[in-house]
Amino acid sequence: MASSSSLGRVLTLSKQLQSVFRISPAISVQHCVVNLKRCQNNLLSEKSSPFALSWITPISFVGQHRALHTTISRRGLEEFFDQPENWGESNVKSGAPWTAKQLRTKSNEDLHKLWYVLLKERNMLLTLEQEAKRQRVQMPSPERMKKIERSMVRLDTVVKERETALRLLQTGQEKGRPGEWRRNVFGYEFWYRFKEYTIPWYMNKRHKRKKFYTPYFVQPHIRLRIERFLRERTRKASLKKKTLAKLKERFPQTKLPSS
Amino acid sequence: MSVTKMVYPLYQLGNPQLRIFRPNWLLTLVRPGKEQPPDTVQFRIPMDMTKYDVKNYLEKIYNVPVGVIRTRIQFGSNKKRNHLNQKVKKPDYKVAYVQLAQGQTFTFPDIFPEKDRTPKEGSMEEMQEKFMEDEKQRQKLDPRRGGVTEWFGL
Repeated sequence: MASSSSLGRVLTLSKQLQSVFRISPAISVQHCVVNLKRCQNNLLSEKSSPFALSWITPISFVGQHRALHTTISRRGLEEFFDQPENWGESNVKSGAPWTAKQLRTKSNEDLHKLWYVLLKERNMLLTLEQEAKRQRVQMPSPERMKKIERSMVRLDTVVKERETALRLLQTGQEKGRPGEWRRNVFGYEFWYRFKEYTIPWYMNKRHKRKKFYTPYFVQPHIRLRIERFLRERTRKASLKKKTLAKLKERFPQTKLPSS
Repeated sequence: MSVTKMVYPLYQLGNPQLRIFRPNWLLTLVRPGKEQPPDTVQFRIPMDMTKYDVKNYLEKIYNVPVGVIRTRIQFGSNKKRNHLNQKVKKPDYKVAYVQLAQGQTFTFPDIFPEKDRTPKEGSMEEMQEKFMEDEKQRQKLDPRRGGVTEWFGL
């Protein structure tokens, strides 16, 4: 009986604490935890029989802990800000960015979690930067932005690597989205990415309007284009040669670049 | 940064299904310029993000209960001119006003509080400051000369 009443008391206490926390999120969570633990200890020490204690401890503890832990991980909007002890500091220490080598040793699940950690950190830094701009003060440790950016790009490359490897193994396709090289009316070649359509191609007027062929009468123009390109290339090369020769004539001692 | 495009990856028959979803939308929580009700939070969000995206983003990633969201697009100023007298455009951005659910309130904290910057006893910074003060004292002119320059006189 005594044990059940104490359990009820602990639960109500935790509920009260939660409500307090909800009303004023500024109160640090650590304090709540410490206070609660102390209360719990007091309540538990009041009991006489050790059996009841051993019976009640895990249940109340687990219940308390789960409720409180959700609140701790649920920092909510406070995650848009740095730790309160870093507020007002001119320098905030930070580690090195993740290297691709380090990330390759991690599992997919870890990478997935890490992406969201990095995303939150980046949001925090953006918020900090904007607020610093607004208050017209220097942002503390702005090099963190670049570090986060690099980590995210590397994580992305690692995940893409894995996806490509798996796709190559299972389907033998090099690209996630299939496509092919096509020519348009003017004879230019480009990579056409296939995409999904809701209707078949012979009913799709817009798709049929596109031309993926080069008419015969365009051939002379393609030739002219090639000629123009070649002429420009030779002109540039000869100009370079001439300037080098002139330089050599004026300054015979100088070493000229070979290319 | 173009890490991932936010299009759902096209599934081809036989392709591997394993995919790590990596949203690259970045939110900036800003201090509201005009005073807002206590349950409203102001964000700067990417242009292609919608109200529903913001709601899902905050609820799933940050575990914040979201009530109503209103958005608008802020026109970046086009008035400034550079040294060649060309117009310089500030980029536009989208602003989201998020009303929190469950009676939650939010006030933007003061993240640049004034801290006393007295260095520790016997630290390198303190020694440096002392040295600088001594140097300043030495650079000062003789007060008995009444501000007359050094080279003037016998």
